[in-house]
Parts: sequence; C-alpha cells; structure tokens
Amino acid sequence: MKTFKTGGIHPPESKFTENLPIENMPVPAELAIPMNQHLGKPAKSLVKVGSEVKKGELIGAADGFISANVHASTSGKVKGVKPLPHPSGQYAMTVLLTADGKDEWAEGLNTEPVNWRGLSKEEVIGRVKNAGIVGMGGAGFPTNVKLSPPPDKKIDTVILNGAECEPFLTADHRLMLESSDEVIEGLEIIASLFGERAKAYIGVESNKQDAIDALSRKASPKGIEVISLKTKYPQGAEKQLINAITGRTIEEGELPFDKGCLVQNIGTAVAVYEAVCKNKPLVDRIVTVSGLEIGKPKNIRAVIGTRFSDISAFCGEPKTGTNQVISGGPMMGKALFTLDVPVTKTTSGILFINNSGIENARERTCIRCGKCVEVCPQGLAPWLLANVAQLRDFDEIQLLGLANCTECGSCTYVCPSKRELVHWIKYAKALVNNRQQRKSA
Amino acid sequence: MISEAFIPAVASLGSVALVLGLIIFYVSKKFHVEEDPTVLIVNDILPGVNCGACGYPSCGQFAEVLVETRDSSMSCPVGGPDLAEKLGSTLGITMAEPKPITAVLLCQGNNDNARETAQYFGIQDCWAATQTYVGPKQCKYSCIGLGSCIAFCDFGAMRLENGLVVIDKELCTGCGACVPACPTGVLVMQEKKAERYFIACNSHDKGAATKKACDAGCIACQKCVKVCDDDAIVIDNFLARIDQEKCTACGKCIEVCPTKVNCILLERDLGEVKQKKAS
Repeated sequence: MKTFKTGGIHPPESKFTENLPIENMPVPAELAIPMNQHLGKPAKSLVKVGSEVKKGELIGAADGFISANVHASTSGKVKGVKPLPHPSGQYAMTVLLTADGKDEWAEGLNTEPVNWRGLSKEEVIGRVKNAGIVGMGGAGFPTNVKLSPPPDKKIDTVILNGAECEPFLTADHRLMLESSDEVIEGLEIIASLFGERAKAYIGVESNKQDAIDALSRKASPKGIEVISLKTKYPQGAEKQLINAITGRTIEEGELPFDKGCLVQNIGTAVAVYEAVCKNKPLVDRIVTVSGLEIGKPKNIRAVIGTRFSDISAFCGEPKTGTNQVISGGPMMGKALFTLDVPVTKTTSGILFINNSGIENARERTCIRCGKCVEVCPQGLAPWLLANVAQLRDFDEIQLLGLANCTECGSCTYVCPSKRELVHWIKYAKALVNNRQQRKSA
Repeated sequence: MISEAFIPAVASLGSVALVLGLIIFYVSKKFHVEEDPTVLIVNDILPGVNCGACGYPSCGQFAEVLVETRDSSMSCPVGGPDLAEKLGSTLGITMAEPKPITAVLLCQGNNDNARETAQYFGIQDCWAATQTYVGPKQCKYSCIGLGSCIAFCDFGAMRLENGLVVIDKELCTGCGACVPACPTGVLVMQEKKAERYFIACNSHDKGAATKKACDAGCIACQKCVKVCDDDAIVIDNFLARIDQEKCTACGKCIEVCPTKVNCILLERDLGEVKQKKAS
C-alpha cells in the first residue's frame, strides 16, 4: 500500500461521524460572512448597510491576483460591515446579513446542470473564478490561480486529495460517498484543462474502504485511478500526498507544479463541478461537528457565514465538560476564544473537546530522544528549531529550514516532554516576518 | 640537585616560546593600527550596553563617529545630560543636551480592569499568544501581559505586575529596544517631564466595545477635548491623544474623564503614577 516516505504518525482515528449522512442545516437568522476566507488579499466589500441581496449575489470582489470572490449565502438584508472575530483568531472585515427566510437564488444561478464539455478552457477557469472557489482543505488558495500555472510548467498528474488524515474529520469521506458522481465529474473538469497528458488520481486512505469502493466503481471506466493509501498522518498535506502517489519529492522553495503535479481537495472538486455545470457560487460546505463533548456529533452542510454558536445549538449543545473548541482538525486546527466566529470556505470541522489535563502538561526540557526528528514528514529537526526559537536566533533558524515546516503538529504530538514545538516554530515565523517587514519599511 | 632530564625539556620549550614571542612581536609592529586615544577615552565614558538607541550598532561605533566628526548634535539617550557634559569636556565642544525620554505603556488593562476572552495555556510569550488569537484579553490593542518586551530591556526597568508590564521610570533610559518587541504596539517613547499627562489606552474600538472589554479604556467621549484650553487633545479613530508639545499640564482633562478608571494618567517625571478622580 502506498504512503509517503519520510516520517508520519498514526493518532487515534476517532472518526465518530463516518457513518452519519450529511444533514442540511437550516439557514440561521443572521450570517456573518468574512471578506478573507482565502489566502491572499481580502476581497473588497461591495455592499452597504441596508442593501438587499439575493442568494449567490456577489458581495465581495476579488482584490488583486491572489484573492477570491465572496457571495451572499442566503437572501436578505445587510445589517452591517465591520471587523468581527474570524476563526483564524484575528478580526476580519465581515458582512453581517439578516436572512429573510426565503433563501432565494439570484437569477441565472444554481441552474439545471449543463454539459461542460462544450466549454473552452478559459470559460471553465472564468466560472471557477467567478464562483469564488478556494482550496477547501484548509489553506484556502484561490483555485482559479492554481488551475492556471505558468505556461512553461507542464502538469501531467492531477491528484484529488481524499486522504482526510486528521482525526475526527469525516466531511470529505461523506462527500465521496454521497456525491461520488460530482467528485469524479469535478476531477474530469480539472484534468481536462491540462489536455490528454494529465493522468488523474484520487488518493484515499485505507480507513475509508467504502469510499474507495464507491469511487473506483465509477472512476475506472473513465481512466481515473483511485489509490488506497496507508492510513498515516499527514498524508493529506500536499507535498506528502504527491510523494505517496507519484514518488516525486517537492524540494524546498518548489511548488507542486514544478514537479508537474496539481492537488485539489474533494470539496473543491465538487465546488468546481457545481460552479461549471450549475453556475453555483461557493456558498456552502460540509462541516464535521464532532468531539466527545458535543451532544449529537454530525456531518452538516452549512452555508458560509453560519456562526459556530448556531451550529452548536443545532448539534445538541456542548456538554458541561467542554473547555476547548477547535476550528479544523485536532492536529492543525485553531482553538477558538469565542463561538461567534462563522463557518468559512476552509472550515472542515468544529471539535468540542475536554482538555482538563492541559494545565499539568506544561513544557519540560528536551531529553534528546529524537522522536520528533523521526516523525517529521519534512525531514527537519523540530527540537532544534524550537531551541533556536527560544534563543531568538532568527538568522540561524532560517538556515535550519524554518520555512519548510508545514506546521502539521506531528512533532508536538509525539514529544514525551510535552514541548510546544509547533508553537515555537510559529512564534519564530511570526518574528522573522515582523523583522523582515521592519527592514523593508 | 636538578635532574639531567630537565635540561632538554626547558631548552626545547624555552626555544619554542622564544620563537613564538618573536613572531608576536614582529606581527604587532608590522600590523600596528594607529588608534586615536580619544576614541578609547570616549568609549570608556559611554555606558557600554550597546543598546543601539543612538542609531549606531555599538558604543564603540558611536565613539568613533563622534571623535571623527565632533558633531555636537549627536547624543546618547541612555547617558542623559551628565554624559553629554562629560563628553563635551573631553572633546572640548558643547554637546546638545539630550531630552530625557522614557518608554510608556498605553494600557491600564490589568487583571482587574480588563476582561479576558479565554484562558491561555501556550508558550508564555506575547508573540506566541498572538499566533493563536489576538491574545487572552478581549481588547486586541491591549498589553497582552506576558512580557515579551522584558527580555529586550538591558536596564532591568520592566517587570510584570497584575497582568501588565510596569516600567520603572527611574531605570528606563529611553533606548527604545522594547518598542519593536511588542506585537500590539502598546509601548511608545515619550519625553520625560515634571508633570506629563497622557491617555493610557491604545484601543481604536468604538466606545461601547472598548467599555465592554475594559474599565480603563478611552471611549472617545470628547469631554477632555472640550475642556482643554490648549487644544492639545485630539480624537483620532476613537482614541484621544494628548499632544505633549501643546500640553501645559493644567490637569483639567483628568477631572472630567468619565471612565470608571481614569483613562488619562498623570505621571510625575520620575516614576510614581498618580490618579486623580473627579470628586
């Protein structure tokens, strides 16, 4: 069974929600739609207080090359445009939308599916761009930019990322089971952009055998290969997935297209299908609501902008033992300070967990056991990076490959001294950035 | 009786030492660098902490440039007027008197005044805390209170007290090393004065939001602006600021400030924070 070469861990899978079908969550009375749900420059808000919008109407326009459109997720009235808490932990410009309850689509959107084969390459990418599609696995890189690599880079491998290696999360798993036709159609659209040469793969971890079966039945007649991968974290990281499937290694400073690869998330593929064939902008996504402390764990389809507090009410309220709520998976997600943050295009899960032991788990000194080096998928020495970060030697730390760290959290997971290795690395990254900004200013 | 075996050992080591000594002597003569003795004297007078407040990377560099240019406008903020006088008499020029400055914390959001949003268990450092979210305190402009700046202070003038950084005005030399060390920009440099009024708040939130987050926040009520006879107070983006050039330290503003804990502070030149509350 295929997997990536260097490092990796296997935390308890805890996929409690893998057999629960996706439920449609009703649109709440008020939505908070942030203008930066993607990597790059935030979108420019186009609406004012009091404007009436229809579902799918453009409310934030992409501002610059790496940016993405934002659409209204329901019909209603704009209540305000102001900075509000964002799941990233910072504050972001947000459009507050009061729903009118009709959930009415704007004209010409969400139509009956049309055949995409008649469309030109530019039309397809244009539709993806207009729909505001971004990478839905977590990073949120604008998909239209990813789909138009520089002309000198030849893409020969298109990979769909169904690894979903984070514990708890089952959103992609359910999507692969319930919308396998759309997933494959979306992949075909993406692969068609790169001509006949491009070979399409879907990488799925072996703990999702039902999804592998469902997909391969429909994919093999179309020449798409579904690859069963050994369950190992972080298989869903772009570089690791490419290594697992093609054996190619993305070196420092390289991007996947340098090695002829393109990776897209399962959710993104479905969004591409809907945008191209049904002219439907990205206004909802699948979210796994799980953790031991939520009343009823669920997979839900929530509109973008639904607040976590509404979702927690829909899923039977958190139990009294909850003391941490995480947006994303347990390995790379962010702990939140308020439930007023909204679902964005990149929110794959919301976890309610009990971390009461956390106070005793304070950092101790490194015992040089080398476990972090063993598991680092990027081949770094996390203990050394953390030590140098603690000494604030920000020249040295860049030589040690700081920029190569993907912050997957494997090192922190295995550290017997409970060192906050990834947190130290993030800290160093923040200070290195700050120093560069001051230098250039 | 000296053993016979001693002689070759002494002779061999002695000759090696002699040869090396001669090489050192030759090199020191050959590569001798003429150094201005005044530079050494000036360097000795300087504080020698290499804090960089003068704009030069080290005290030695400052001394070299000063001796070379004899520029009377150059100043060492750490040494203050005493040092300026000493430097002047050594070099035979009249040095400009440096204005004593000090670091000021524009925040009173200590554990009593400010409200927290969440408990933070991560790395005890402000920059690390801002990587998880805006910081444990509700106000994103506040002093995070984990003391990243303290490590950058060469003079031991900073300490943590009740969730806030406290600056000892007597020890603070105004080198400014702490300012870039703060992720929220709540530390600024201000001129030391006999009586100095300033708004000890950094929040650009609207009044209601500020009040919700902190008892000592400036709510931009305009009261101090109206009462000020010198037009020294302006409100910019929901935060009042006192222009230290125009302020005559009359103290009227502090009387009218309506916030629960006065957001306007009076500091007397050296240390001692005093608060007057309208009776």
